[in-house]
Amino acid sequence: MKKRLLSILLAGAMTVSLAACGGTAPAAEAPAAEAPAAEAPKEEAKAEEPKAEEPAAEEATSELVDGKFAETRKITVEVYDRGNDGGSDPENNMYTEFIKKGMLEEHNVEVTFKKVGRWTEVDDINKLLASGEAPDICVTYSYPTILTYAGMGGVIDLAPYLDQYKSELPNLWNWLGDENIYWDKDPKTGTVWAVEGRRFEQQRIVTFVRQDWLDKLGLKAPTTTQEFEDMLVAFKDNAETLLGKDAKKMVPFSISKDVGWRASNIITSFMDPAITDKEYYINGFDDRMVTEPQTKEAVRLLNKWYNAGLMRKNFSLAPDDTEEDDMIKSGYVGAFQHNWDMPFRNGEDSYNASLARNVGEDAKFVAIDPFTNSAGKHAKWLYSTAGDRKSFFPITNQEPLASLLYLDYISKPEVIKYLQIGDEGVTHDVLDSGAIQIKAATGDAIQNSGRNIDMTITCNGAFYGDTDLAALSLSYGYAGIDPALVDQASKIAMTDGLTPKNVNVGTIEAEAGVGDTLSAKRDQAYDQAVEASEADFDKVWDAAIADYLSSGGQAIIDERTEKWTEYFGDSDMLP
Amino acid sequence: MSAAKTRVKAPKKKVKFSVYMKRYWQLYAMLALPLIYLFIFKYLPMVYVQIAFKKYSIVKSIWTLPIAKNHGFEYFIKAFSNNDFRYALRNTVTLNLLDLLFGFPAPILFALILNELCFQRYKKVVQTITYMPHFLSWVIIYSLALQLLTPETGFINMMIEAFGGTSIPFLNDPAHWIGSYIAFGIWQNFGWGSIIYLAAISGINPELYEAASVDGAGRFRKMWHITLPGIKPTIVVLLIMNLGNILGGGFDRPFAFQNNLVMKVADVIATYVYRVGIKGLQFSLTTAVGLFQSVVGVFFLLMANWLSRKLGERGIW
Repeated sequence: MKKRLLSILLAGAMTVSLAACGGTAPAAEAPAAEAPAAEAPKEEAKAEEPKAEEPAAEEATSELVDGKFAETRKITVEVYDRGNDGGSDPENNMYTEFIKKGMLEEHNVEVTFKKVGRWTEVDDINKLLASGEAPDICVTYSYPTILTYAGMGGVIDLAPYLDQYKSELPNLWNWLGDENIYWDKDPKTGTVWAVEGRRFEQQRIVTFVRQDWLDKLGLKAPTTTQEFEDMLVAFKDNAETLLGKDAKKMVPFSISKDVGWRASNIITSFMDPAITDKEYYINGFDDRMVTEPQTKEAVRLLNKWYNAGLMRKNFSLAPDDTEEDDMIKSGYVGAFQHNWDMPFRNGEDSYNASLARNVGEDAKFVAIDPFTNSAGKHAKWLYSTAGDRKSFFPITNQEPLASLLYLDYISKPEVIKYLQIGDEGVTHDVLDSGAIQIKAATGDAIQNSGRNIDMTITCNGAFYGDTDLAALSLSYGYAGIDPALVDQASKIAMTDGLTPKNVNVGTIEAEAGVGDTLSAKRDQAYDQAVEASEADFDKVWDAAIADYLSSGGQAIIDERTEKWTEYFGDSDMLP
Repeated sequence: MSAAKTRVKAPKKKVKFSVYMKRYWQLYAMLALPLIYLFIFKYLPMVYVQIAFKKYSIVKSIWTLPIAKNHGFEYFIKAFSNNDFRYALRNTVTLNLLDLLFGFPAPILFALILNELCFQRYKKVVQTITYMPHFLSWVIIYSLALQLLTPETGFINMMIEAFGGTSIPFLNDPAHWIGSYIAFGIWQNFGWGSIIYLAAISGINPELYEAASVDGAGRFRKMWHITLPGIKPTIVVLLIMNLGNILGGGFDRPFAFQNNLVMKVADVIATYVYRVGIKGLQFSLTTAVGLFQSVVGVFFLLMANWLSRKLGERGIW
């Protein structure tokens, strides 16, 4: 009897646990097709319809009094989690508190931050969107991702809201202007899926060299491609002098498996100076120019250097950049190309600070500008004013106006200023000239990203709320770095700079979903060709490019050409 | 005697389930947990297999998604007309077959050798050491591989050069890469894999060995005629299970070992699905690939099982 009772109990417990577990798996617990499960997404779909009509039905002025909601509204905002050692809590720090307070005071909107892994952002947003828990304001660098979501009906079209609430959003318009706000506007349907943040700094990639090595060998900074090559040879031949017992570890020119980035200025110097807008556009699926016809010759030069022992060996085997970082910081690397401020970033952990510690006070990287194109110019690509982070509202966003007000608030000059420089004496000092000198912060005041860009999602670059102040302070933006070095790098980065133009011809269907495949193929083409033997170079490069084209590259080029002709006819240049 | 026993047992088979339940309910209760696990994590997600035939949307219920083009087979056609998928398919089969060819016998040989060791303590130490790599993640193994095998700076290549040879591109060249990949697979798994065989060996009746010794059989004879036949059922079951996995295989091992120079031979279905499906947001396409993979896996499993029964062995059911 007892046994029976127990078994009934157990069976009961089993049923309950089964039911409970079934409940946690939404949509799946209804095997019967006639009873559609997944009510949550359905509700969202329903909610979308009345929302779309909302702007037309209601008057903008009726909702806000003095820019404030009558009742407190709540929104969630995505913030990157970079997982920095000793960083501040991305959801809860001095800057998030500032924003929360400001939004509540000015608009009666309660803001909550939601962290998303910086290096897994697409995966994370994916999961959040699918589970209906995405932040009301999402941010990503990847426009194709937004397009994919939009194609699935997961993104709010901002166009009607922007039109209706324009008068409520003066700061947003002042800061971004029509250009960035409507950068991604579809020329046919007029939809705006995302608003482009603004790059305040357009400097992109610069070549750096060890000044102390040049001095030791009595060399001058190279000013042509040939002189640069001679310098690498001199480094290699004098490895004993420069590194002593570590001579074998010498790397005259370092690179990573992202060759298209890390040799960008070399590749650009081979590009035809008279390149047309059309030519650049149809080959411009990404900014690495792998299908540009002259790129092959640039890679041939790299291949020659590689085989002559002037470059980092086996760079394509390294899974990430940590090994290279260590080599650079330990002082084995003579030259490299990277972000224009790369050696200055990260305070005490910067390349230059590490070199001073590990090698000696005089060891440092300085910017040089050796690569010349056939017109004798030091051409290099800059960033456009857009092309940075894009903000979009997922379909689950119930507060489009409050969310737009957030973007407006975050674009206010004084807000950007505070988020970028924090409090005087804590995160910056004001110099006699009035310039802002950034200093290393501690605790809650630590900025997890350079220029605090994770907080200023509509601004990338030191703006400090005022163009003049920004110009004055640019060189003082790096804790512990000689301002003259920063100044020099910035100037070189802008010399003969080329600004990419916005070619807006609507969605290119062939680009959907192939981004990761093609960037992998692109890197394979570069890596295999650079590391090939000189005799095999042509064979390897041609095969890899053929592979790139057949994996979707050619389809993109074709569709881009077609779209160009549709919008601009026979013209080779943008109007 | 045995015939009588089966005759007695036969009618018992018709005993109702409730009687068994009453008698062995404790065992059934214990079985319930793994069954619940299987149901929730392996069977419930199968509901989503249908997105292979539908146009997936992240915001719609899967029951209301529209059917894909070509009677729902759009994504299968797309996968098979894709270069990279074909490479991945070929590589998956090649690498798994090589793994089977070299990796499958390794633990058996090792178990046989270990079984012959007389010095018990030495045997224990060797066993423990060989288990260890099993607990290392592939990312760590790859960084070990880099330290050992990189041309010019890797330890092994430095040794080769010190003795006057030329360094070998173990990881940079497709053919060498396959060798290194298989070798590290064997290294990681042979110790761990041998446990099950050692267990099977210890179940063999020692009287058989004594009888063989009396008949004058040497070590190799005993190994061949007693140990191997003794563990044959275990070998067959494991072989069947391995064959079912011929299109499967883990994700982390190829993913950690891949580099840009060898992608042509290193990209497998698991990494293809990750790149194209998860990162490229093409869920329908990669569900189709996954479904194909599973169907082929089941086919191989059934075939291997059928074959083993034909050859007079017990199958896995």
